[in-house]
Amino acid sequence: MTDAIKNVKVHLVVLVLVCVSELIGILKFDVGPGTLVLLPMLYAVFLGTFLGPKFLKVVNDKDMLDSSTLVSLTLMLLMARYGTLVGPKFFEILKAGPALILQEFGNIGTLVIGIPIAMFLGLRREAVGAAHSIAREPNVALIGDIYGLDSPEGRGVMGVYICGTVFGTIFYGLAASFLSVLDVFHPYALAMAAGVGSASMMTATVGSLSAHYPAMADKIQAFGVASNTLSGLDGVYMSMFIALPLSNKLYNLLYRLRFGKTEEA
Amino acid sequence: MRKIVESAIVLVLVGVITLIGNRIGYGFGLLEALPGMAVLVAICLLGVLANAYVFKLPTVLYVITFGMIVTLPGFPGSEQFAAWVGKVNFLALTTPILAYAGVGIGKDLPALKKTGWRIVAVSLFVMAGTYLASAGIAQVTLKFLGEI
Repeated sequence: MTDAIKNVKVHLVVLVLVCVSELIGILKFDVGPGTLVLLPMLYAVFLGTFLGPKFLKVVNDKDMLDSSTLVSLTLMLLMARYGTLVGPKFFEILKAGPALILQEFGNIGTLVIGIPIAMFLGLRREAVGAAHSIAREPNVALIGDIYGLDSPEGRGVMGVYICGTVFGTIFYGLAASFLSVLDVFHPYALAMAAGVGSASMMTATVGSLSAHYPAMADKIQAFGVASNTLSGLDGVYMSMFIALPLSNKLYNLLYRLRFGKTEEA
Repeated sequence: MRKIVESAIVLVLVGVITLIGNRIGYGFGLLEALPGMAVLVAICLLGVLANAYVFKLPTVLYVITFGMIVTLPGFPGSEQFAAWVGKVNFLALTTPILAYAGVGIGKDLPALKKTGWRIVAVSLFVMAGTYLASAGIAQVTLKFLGEI
């Protein structure tokens, strides 16, 4: 860690990446009924990737290693900010009722579907990181804390995090439109399900639902925001104490079924 | 102890980089956002300390919980804390993290190439799974409660 801190070049490179990315700013594109939103963090990761020895040769192997050891600590600042988003709304959320709390267990649906599919596609321990949750910031921070972001689990969670950031809003916007056309779920249920711990995904969902059901727009938004804030509140506890242990159990079970032995460490 | 000093140095460094990005991208002055950033760094350090000296729970759990407590209505100074950290844009905090991650990804590119398209496929199922399962549970519960 000391090495990484002393690597002034890495910090300067990051500073430049941050400045360039923030100068470009947030870009929005309308795609069908949804909106594709590109955030500065995406440019930062994209540009950063091309600085390595394979492309622009700005950073060497040691710089890359130093840089990645710093990621999990930098995540903490964001997590502190996350807590301060939830705090002021805490008591409102408590009043929001059992439906909001129970739908949080939908996270288990993620891993029940996601882990087998990930393993079917040939992923190993990456599957646990990738599919234990929807991989928003708190989940990335948690996996980074427990396994390190350099581990297979870390690569899995980062992959889904980045995909979610790129495709999440458009995916949720389209899914909400599509499901409201099918008329299986009530718009309130669809609005509650939107709270996955990402303000942009929730906004996309609530936005397209409001367009479909203008008369219910107020309540749709209230449910969306409450559910999203609740995910921010319990998401990390839910992942740590329920989803992650279950994911590991399911992974081990499927591994034994497929290969007839437990995974050697 | 060394770990705590190192954490403090990194947090302050990233704090400064974030403040600059926060100025460029979201228009909050450096001094204007400084108290909020100081609060965030302090919360993180408390989390690192708690992880080292209280229970060995993940630091994230401590940091989120502390952030929540200091802004909880009724906690002394909570409104002031919330106003200060409000000057640090949430997205401004994500950019430096992904910049460090991006620089680091270079060495994982071969591995990433191997798992890349699979992760994209998995993430689509993950998003669909969360959404459908949550909507299903919400639907049943709301019906049961007589709300719909």
